[in-house]
Amino acid sequence: MSRRMAVILMLLGLAAITAIAQQDPQGVKVPDAEQFVGKPKGTPLTGDDLTRKTQDIAASLRCPVCQGLAIADSPSEMATNMKGQVRELLARGYTQEQIFSYFERSYGQFVLLKPKFQGVNTLVWVLPVLALALGVIIVFAKIRNLEKAPEPKNAAAESAAPAETPEEDPYLARVRKLVKGDNS
Amino acid sequence: MNATLGRLLILGSLLVSTTGAVLAYAAGAKRSREGLRWAQRFAYAFSAMMILATLVMEVALVTHDFSVSYVAQVGSLTTPLWVTIVSLWSSLEGSILFWGFVLALYIAVATWLTRNQHEEYMAYSIGTWLACASFFSFLIAGPANPFLSVPFPPVDGPGPNPLLQNHILMVAHPPFLYLGYVGMTIPFGFATAALLRGRLGVAFIRPIRTALMLPWIFLTIAIMLGGWWAYEVLGWGGYWAWDPVENASLLPWLTATAALHSGVVMERRGVLKGWTITLIQGSFLLTILGTFMTRSGVFNSVHSFTQSSIGPTILVFLAVILLGSIALLAARIDSLEAEGRIEGAVSREGMFLLNNLLFVLFTFTVLIGTVFPLVVEALRGKQMSVGRPYFDSMVVPVGAALVFLLGIGPALPWGRASREQIKRSLLPPIIGGVVLLVLGYALGARNGWTLLTLAFGGYAAQVTLGEMWRPVVQRMKRGESLMTATVQAQFNRGRRRFASYVIHAGAVIVIIAIAVSSTTRTQREVSLAKGQSTTIGAYTVTFLGTDIRNEPHRVATVARVAITKDGKPVEVVEPRMNQYAAMREPIGTPAVHSTLAGDLYVSIMNLDGSGQNVGLLLLITPMVSWIWIAVLLMGLGGIISIIPHRQSSFAAASASEPSPATVAETPA
Repeated sequence: MSRRMAVILMLLGLAAITAIAQQDPQGVKVPDAEQFVGKPKGTPLTGDDLTRKTQDIAASLRCPVCQGLAIADSPSEMATNMKGQVRELLARGYTQEQIFSYFERSYGQFVLLKPKFQGVNTLVWVLPVLALALGVIIVFAKIRNLEKAPEPKNAAAESAAPAETPEEDPYLARVRKLVKGDNS
Repeated sequence: MNATLGRLLILGSLLVSTTGAVLAYAAGAKRSREGLRWAQRFAYAFSAMMILATLVMEVALVTHDFSVSYVAQVGSLTTPLWVTIVSLWSSLEGSILFWGFVLALYIAVATWLTRNQHEEYMAYSIGTWLACASFFSFLIAGPANPFLSVPFPPVDGPGPNPLLQNHILMVAHPPFLYLGYVGMTIPFGFATAALLRGRLGVAFIRPIRTALMLPWIFLTIAIMLGGWWAYEVLGWGGYWAWDPVENASLLPWLTATAALHSGVVMERRGVLKGWTITLIQGSFLLTILGTFMTRSGVFNSVHSFTQSSIGPTILVFLAVILLGSIALLAARIDSLEAEGRIEGAVSREGMFLLNNLLFVLFTFTVLIGTVFPLVVEALRGKQMSVGRPYFDSMVVPVGAALVFLLGIGPALPWGRASREQIKRSLLPPIIGGVVLLVLGYALGARNGWTLLTLAFGGYAAQVTLGEMWRPVVQRMKRGESLMTATVQAQFNRGRRRFASYVIHAGAVIVIIAIAVSSTTRTQREVSLAKGQSTTIGAYTVTFLGTDIRNEPHRVATVARVAITKDGKPVEVVEPRMNQYAAMREPIGTPAVHSTLAGDLYVSIMNLDGSGQNVGLLLLITPMVSWIWIAVLLMGLGGIISIIPHRQSSFAAASASEPSPATVAETPA
């Protein structure tokens, strides 16, 4: 591809970026919030609290057009807009739950990076806990089992287990030769 | 010419590996020494052909032979030489060939090192390796053939994926990942051989351990390089997003780490043989699953560069190995089990078992979280996500518990210990825990999990350093000089013991650095006009203006940003937007001002056409560099532990000398 083509493409890219830059994030409107999730149930946030909470919620919402990124982490236009919406909803006093269900209405469960504890999704939360319980039982059973195991032969016999006859393991045979001083 | 030669070599390696696998299994079943010799020859022949095929591809790439399909796909006359060379792993077909190349190296070296040893197991091991080799030869010969002839070769090609050219880490990451992934084939072969024989003798434990440790080292570093790359390139200031592809590299690492630990108990006590073998089989399966996840395109990920039709083929391979392994384990696991016993739960052995429980739980949780959305979509047709908030809340407690074990595990003695002994070893390190906790709190850490991790980490650090130092002190008491004692205790007799504490020290630092960096960062998003400044933490950041730079393969728009700290100039950093001819969107590359205490991360969010205004993401993240450094320390520890000892090949089998992991340095 020619250099000129590259420059044109770059200018197009810059134009797109500029378009994003000129959007005022404060100006994003969420007119349909009340229609979908009702009146705000919390207190409006401002200042540092607002910024922090926006960041928290943005980290739990998936950017619908990106490859598996949270909107907090994505530079895309859509993610930037969604972050603006989160901020505005918080500023109007919507709670975290309300904001999650607002976005769920628009984009489906897909948008929630932390699956809800309901329906089939319960499994993703419960299975690891069950695995832990099962694992603990197995480990304790195993320890009890091994404690009851017969007294092992003494250390020497254990290391040079009688099953390893020289015919079976030429490597051990070499060791034996070496130990006996027959270093051939 | 190159295309034909390449295809011939690949067909040759397919033929040789398949024949060799059948022959080796037959030789194993008949315990034929002559058969084993032939299996070895087939292994060398496969390796030679596969390596030659890769060389042919490299020659084609470097000479820009566009009549080879892969070169036509990723080659370009304008890319720098190093990019041309590494574009072997820039796209699917080439990276599968690279996989074959790494497998060939591993098989040749492993066959050579064991040529006169472990005869009982080697035919089956080589058979298993060659069976895997024949699968990958088949992939290269069929669904992912890079050597197709292009009837009308183009004059120039598009060049490799720009992301590969965008950062040097992207060049280093794939080879390490492949060396880690592919290397798991070797212990898998050994483990399968032990299962087929229904026996695992003491002499064979050491090669299994070494064969596992080597890919573990590569995988450890590969995971770190992947995270570092994400940090340096993706522009959001994080290094780990619990992305499916990242998880894919973590899963086999977790099971391999568990296996390395249960291997110590197996070596020391003669128990957990079947379990260790199961973990090794699992690690290999997870590498194949990881390949499927990365290559099939079924996962939505920032790291999947290639989507292709080889997914189903890999899935079939995965299913065959999974069923084969399960059947083999079910049939033979009992015959491997317990020769020995353990003497109490509150002991080193008991902690090893807990360690294994936690690592397996960790693996299970990450696996569930990664594949769950896929299963739900397949069964119910609904799309859902499992992302960072889920993994953070599930995995952080497991991580904290692991740091806790990292402390008390090595502090507890082997075998049955008296209450008094246990108290004596467990109480003093509490000092270390308290010190780090107070220090962290004083420096501003407030997150509960972070403080807990710091307390456990301090405890573990004191135990680790104490255990490292102890044999030296004991030798000095016996009258050796500091120098002799250190060399003897750490590098000769006690090398493996020393190495494991080096790895532990690295692990403690990594976990602390992750906890601190992820919970104490400061973030600002600012919009600056040319000449305007802003402050974040102790830093003042000034936007000086933009430059446009024409580089051979890209055009870069660079923002110059001056950083001063407490009024003194520190550095002018240059976050940039790189525009590649082949890509529509520019790729941002952030700039990082790194210090040991923390990083100042400067990333361009937007840039207006005139270069007068810039939107910047500014982040202060403490301790990030410690993650990279400490992972390298872990890798170094791994290397120390596998350097062969002068007498080591006999040490494991000799009755009078305990294995070096547990050397006689411990008090009688």
